[in-house]
Amino acid sequence: MIELQNVHKYFFKDEPREVHALNNINLTLEDGEFTLFSGPSGCGKTTLLNAIGALDEIDSGKIYFDKTEISALSDTARTSLRLNQMGFVFQAYNLVPVLSVEENIGFIMKLRGFSDSEIQKRVLEVASMLEIDNKLKALPNALSGGQQQRVAVARAVAAKPKIILADEPTANLDSKNSQKLMDMMKELNKKEGVSILFASHDEYIFENVRRIVKMNDGEIVDA
Amino acid sequence: MFSFALKNILFYKGRSLTTFVLTFVSTLLFVVYVSMMDGSHKSMLQNAIKIYTGAIEIYHKDYRDIGGNEYLIQDTSAILKKISQIEGVEAYTSRYETFGLLSSKNNSAASMVAGIEPEKEKSLSSISEALTEGEFLTEKSGNCIYMGVELVKKLKVKLADEVAFIGAASDNSFAADIFRVCGIFKTGSFEFDLSTSFLSRDYFDTLMLSKNKASYITIKVDDLEHVEAVNEKIARVLDDNLESLTWKTLMKTMVEAMEVDSIFGYISLALFLVVIFFVIMIYGFINVSSRIKEFGVLRCVGISNSNIFSLLFYEIFILSTLAIAVAAPIGGYICYYYSINPIVIEGIAEMYKDYGIISDEIPFDFSVFTLAWNILLIYVLNFLSILYPYFYINSFRPIEASRHV
Ligand SMILES: Nc1ncnc2c1ncn2[C@@H]1O[C@H](COP(=O)(O)OP(=O)(O)O)[C@@H](O)[C@H]1O
Ligand SMILES: [Mg+2]
Repeated sequence: MIELQNVHKYFFKDEPREVHALNNINLTLEDGEFTLFSGPSGCGKTTLLNAIGALDEIDSGKIYFDKTEISALSDTARTSLRLNQMGFVFQAYNLVPVLSVEENIGFIMKLRGFSDSEIQKRVLEVASMLEIDNKLKALPNALSGGQQQRVAVARAVAAKPKIILADEPTANLDSKNSQKLMDMMKELNKKEGVSILFASHDEYIFENVRRIVKMNDGEIVDA
Repeated sequence: MFSFALKNILFYKGRSLTTFVLTFVSTLLFVVYVSMMDGSHKSMLQNAIKIYTGAIEIYHKDYRDIGGNEYLIQDTSAILKKISQIEGVEAYTSRYETFGLLSSKNNSAASMVAGIEPEKEKSLSSISEALTEGEFLTEKSGNCIYMGVELVKKLKVKLADEVAFIGAASDNSFAADIFRVCGIFKTGSFEFDLSTSFLSRDYFDTLMLSKNKASYITIKVDDLEHVEAVNEKIARVLDDNLESLTWKTLMKTMVEAMEVDSIFGYISLALFLVVIFFVIMIYGFINVSSRIKEFGVLRCVGISNSNIFSLLFYEIFILSTLAIAVAAPIGGYICYYYSINPIVIEGIAEMYKDYGIISDEIPFDFSVFTLAWNILLIYVLNFLSILYPYFYINSFRPIEASRHV
């Protein structure tokens, strides 16, 4: 469970160009939820995901990941929290170009010290769920954008994190590939029970989602 | 991380190749540079000894401090006989040195005049090779005098001219004669060339009444490295009133000068290393700057700082090991080869004679120990060079870095 209490975040605090990127956010996200953060560009979705993902600091308020207060953790503890509990999907895929598809998928598991046989088994499992099991030996740059993003999702989910944070994962994809990715993520959410938080300003994705958090100007307008 | 590093190296071929070549070239240059430095050092020493000073010299005690005819070696042939039986002695000869006044029609000058055994002298010193005009002495060259070029200039004489000599014989009686200039030499040492002249002992001893006497005996050893050991053996067979000294004592000032020279050598070596270090580090830094995003993404998904450090470490370790593994044998072989078959640049000795260079050979020195510490140093430099880039990467927050373009 993730809980945000009175979270504020500023950029350029106390300067004329100050931005109040997160304005008094209060939110509870249950385990296993599939949540979309929506709203116009610049409303604070990325800032919020980064705060939850222990990638960025906040100026005031509290964020709890289960019982741990993220905002109070050291850099090392945040790194280890991200590695052990979270999966990330970026807009720009961000696969490791020198590693093959299967090595990319198994990368986080390897860092976490899973055995090679466990990794191999799990890589096959998620790869077939995401329909990239015929590309395992390929390097990322030989894949289409849609395939690369599915590899990124596979990497995020392979090590069984509690939550996956996906910031505009479909922004670089056409509508067909976006739809496919959304369907697969919903499937993963259902089968694996992993919470998925993602941010998007695409309107048409909304119909697929159970919970939508609407934002505007750094505030939650509808949860 | 090791296999990840290996894959990075193989994937970014251009980058890896440049790092490889940089390390390769700097290792090679460094090894060869050190070899030449050591080599020129050694040859400087050998040259200095070769000109006139022996590796070991035997004196009557007090000759060097007080001097004079009371402190000549009296029974030279008996001592030479003992020395000839000592292992490690390659050659030896006796010299009789005295000071006198040399006069030409135009000018006079004080000079050290030495009676030498011309044939033996050839294998003990390089004064015969320093010949520039005329001929070197022979046993039977009579009143021929072999003169330093600066002394010749001062007396304003030329070959075949006559010079008058006035001095004191070994029994302190008056000695005077007329010599004929038969040969002129130039060692490159101004002092030496201005104040030294030679005659064959056969002739000079008759004039100076110095048969079987000697100012000192000079000795060449098989191997300079063993000079102390040979010196001890010699000292053991000598009478109490004699002393035998090695070049280190004989050329105190020279040795001190060489130490200063080696300090300059080490300073230039240090500069060289600093340059190598910065080249490698700047290149490593440029590399890492282009990888900020890559490392940022890795850190976002949970790679720790120590993982990044091991990644950089393995990358540089693999590349520098490869580069050194190739460069060290090549560099070592070059040094080894040229230490045995020196590069000869025709005429270089002629051109640089004034600086005391008396050989056309470019000196190299080969030693496994030197090679080993050279390699170790390049290794250490390579590893040090990843530190700054590493801290630079860490100065970015992961999320900033992942968006870095
Ligand atoms: N690193 C940053 N530095 C300064 N301002 C920023 C930074 N990131 C975001 N902002 C500002 O914060 C606000 C929210 O941005 P963001 O969270 O990226 O919105 P969204 O993801 O919804 O498009 C915007 O006004 C944006 O200009
Ligand atoms: Mg955004």
